[in-house]
Amino acid sequence: MIAKNRGRVLLVATMVLVAPALCWGSGFALFEVGGRQAGMAGTMVAVGDDLSTLFWNPAGTAFQTDQGIQLMFGTTLIQPEQTIYGSSPYPGEGYQADQVSQTFFPVHVFLGIPVNDRLEVSFAFYNPFGLGTEWEDDFLGNFISKKADLMVFDLGVSMAYQLSEDFAFGIGVDYMVAEIELTRNIGLINPYDQRLTNVAEASLKGEGVNSAWAWNAGILWKMGGGFSFGASYRSEFTINGGGKADFTQIPTGYADFDGLLSTFFPFDGKVPIEASIAFPDFWNVGLAWQNEKWTISGQYGVMGWSAYESLPIIFPENPEFSSIREENWDDAAQWRIGVEFRASQHWDLRLGYLEDETPQPAAGMSPLLADGDRVSNMVGLGYHTDRFRFDIAYEKVEIDTRSTEGQSPDGFDGTWEGQSPLLHMSITLKF
Amino acid sequence: MKKTIFALSLVALLAAAPAVAQVDFTNYVALGDSMTAGFASASMMDWYQDRSYPAVLARQAGASTFEQPYISEPGIGPIYELVSLAPQPVIQPVGLAPGMPYNYEYPYPYNNLGIPTATLYDMIFQTGDLTNLEQGNFDTVFFDIVLRNGINTALEFAIGAQPTFLTVWIGSNDVLSAVLAATPIDGITMTPVDFFAGLYNNAVGALSTNTTADIVLINIPYATQTPFATSLDPFVDIPGAGRVYLMADTGPLTDGDLVTLGGGALIAQGYGLPGGPPLPDNLNIITGEPGVVLREAEVEMINDHIDGLNAAIDQTASAFGYPVFDINALFADIVSGEFVPLYGGVTLSADFLLGGIFSYDGIHPQRIGYALIADELIQFINAEYGAEIPRVDMAEVLFEGDWQSPGVSPAKAKQTIMSAEAFQRLYDLFPPKLDQAPRIRRPSADRPEFTGRDMRVKPATRP
Repeated sequence: MIAKNRGRVLLVATMVLVAPALCWGSGFALFEVGGRQAGMAGTMVAVGDDLSTLFWNPAGTAFQTDQGIQLMFGTTLIQPEQTIYGSSPYPGEGYQADQVSQTFFPVHVFLGIPVNDRLEVSFAFYNPFGLGTEWEDDFLGNFISKKADLMVFDLGVSMAYQLSEDFAFGIGVDYMVAEIELTRNIGLINPYDQRLTNVAEASLKGEGVNSAWAWNAGILWKMGGGFSFGASYRSEFTINGGGKADFTQIPTGYADFDGLLSTFFPFDGKVPIEASIAFPDFWNVGLAWQNEKWTISGQYGVMGWSAYESLPIIFPENPEFSSIREENWDDAAQWRIGVEFRASQHWDLRLGYLEDETPQPAAGMSPLLADGDRVSNMVGLGYHTDRFRFDIAYEKVEIDTRSTEGQSPDGFDGTWEGQSPLLHMSITLKF
Repeated sequence: MKKTIFALSLVALLAAAPAVAQVDFTNYVALGDSMTAGFASASMMDWYQDRSYPAVLARQAGASTFEQPYISEPGIGPIYELVSLAPQPVIQPVGLAPGMPYNYEYPYPYNNLGIPTATLYDMIFQTGDLTNLEQGNFDTVFFDIVLRNGINTALEFAIGAQPTFLTVWIGSNDVLSAVLAATPIDGITMTPVDFFAGLYNNAVGALSTNTTADIVLINIPYATQTPFATSLDPFVDIPGAGRVYLMADTGPLTDGDLVTLGGGALIAQGYGLPGGPPLPDNLNIITGEPGVVLREAEVEMINDHIDGLNAAIDQTASAFGYPVFDINALFADIVSGEFVPLYGGVTLSADFLLGGIFSYDGIHPQRIGYALIADELIQFINAEYGAEIPRVDMAEVLFEGDWQSPGVSPAKAKQTIMSAEAFQRLYDLFPPKLDQAPRIRRPSADRPEFTGRDMRVKPATRP
């Protein structure tokens, strides 16, 4: 009889393992590639006049050959806040929980080397995707996700060529490396007291180098009269990776129940896993106007999250745990507008505004990531000399309060509320 | 002009449209059997009564009063406990004296009129008298505890209470004996469909005629899909010999046959195994000994019979305009996996012991299962009546412990899934009526004729 139940228990365990990774959202995408661009809401596709353009439009560096060798590096401090207001049947009306306060600091390092006055070769290292969530030990959603850390590193090389005084193009290749760790509890009904009980903690962690290749391209056209137009494309990519799952038993106080569970779960060692994650493409078009004092730039982009249709997680040695879950996200659009005012010879002031649509269906929101449409307001300040510049920007992201509308596939319904302050900083050195 | 006429028509239509219906739980009465009483682990006990689906529904709907015929721990039964899980699960009644009723002085009809063991016929015609208990007679213990006065039946009490809302979940016991005895016999272990249909129509007709309550009817789940029938395989895996199909006194079992939990103790003694005596397949009409094997054809026969009873329920509901909560489909979907109850990443299932829905008797839900039923019923009522009854907080239910911190008793019992004693107690509660065909309990001779008109005045009505 217990053996007959084994399949069901394994099904439970499989769902427990797979569910967290289903809920990555637009918050999974990062645009934190420089203090200056952040102050202008990332509207660099049609501007492209600092090294952050290696993310936004690789053609931009073709117009920077007169700057010599440039090195730009920096980070962004992110402190996401999120609250769930529960609804019945689970976690119940009146339930409220806040995410553990954490600070993340994705980095960016760009190096631009002019080959001649028309050609520049550049190298980039930054985080185009990332996610981090953590909940308290008594959180009722710990069976879905207790802690999640995901970071994608982009090691890119690109070249930009100025076809004429007004027009340039750029292309690049990206070597993407992903690191991921997901932790959650496994809950079962204890047959002795018929109470939902933590029986194990499951941790899935990537091992080795899980990587994929991607490419990017862009054009930048200075149309005259201070106007410029830019367009760029970053390809989608899929990381097929491997790792290990680690199951740690939590004693229930009932020895034979614990013993029974040890026949279901591989508590005695790590078991290999394989996973496949599709990342979206990203295209942008932008229009900008500049004079000596002002830069005004607008931009429209779409992230192709519809590529994220499903998430397979395979246990080669424990196929009973393997599962494929449907996601079916949507492409997500974003509007940006940014302004820079060059107030003096050394000081610049910036403002930015961003509306970023979520790709995540409302029902898919979970403790791993509960995303909503985002609005960001930015303010930035820059100081520069001929060979040095320091840029800083403060950004406040407000995420739309959003309900799962009773459709959560994890059975965790409620209304999610979130926001995040970000502090972007970068230093640029010119040689 | 046309526009004016159109506008006026629209206004008239809007005015004529019924307002969003609401349900009134000021006086909610639940008619039914053990499933309504909150019977769990072969016991009727206050802890589970407070977690019965009608009690949960009443709380969620904000009913100010919902009185029940409480029985102290460990209930009557008494309740089963799991004494060990490995190497073989052992379930047996707790070794305590049965509980006693303690809310029997409540001066009005109980809101919960669910009576364990009651068939449809019993709901209409059977009375109960507390003096029976006082004289030490336990034959009709649940009727005596719920009905008390020796005069009125459950149906009469329900009508007399003049409820504002009423649920009726009756009929499970009109077929349950076929599963418990592993022998479907129309008229012996199953109430004939035509007989049931007539009674059901009359009962609902009486409720419709004599009350103004909003009524929800609940149909009958497949008892063949409960863990009592599905937990044991028709074979055993013997090291070195491989898979060996069990032997019954009617021949070897095959895939598709079911062995009830009542067979667990026998298999542990060697019954059905090579060299051992065969398992009893069917009910022994002479001795009353139950069978423990449901052949595939018998399962089909029982399910077909339940389909027939449910068709009768549908027909009556349609005639009187009452909605039917299809709990049969709900349980069937849970068993098939088409519906997976999922709460915060934790799934429940119909599996025995580990599934979280059924109690230790393998037939009745435990508190999580009853809460699940209440939650589904609330969604049904909200949809049917445009009501806004809040759903059940399953987090509270899931993390609440059982009625006691049981600990693990010394495993001196037989190494089997359900001890023979436990099975016998369960079987005794729901026996086939071998001396009656069809199973009919005649109303007592001195009981007044059952008429709708008289019923309202007999029982004391709540203020």
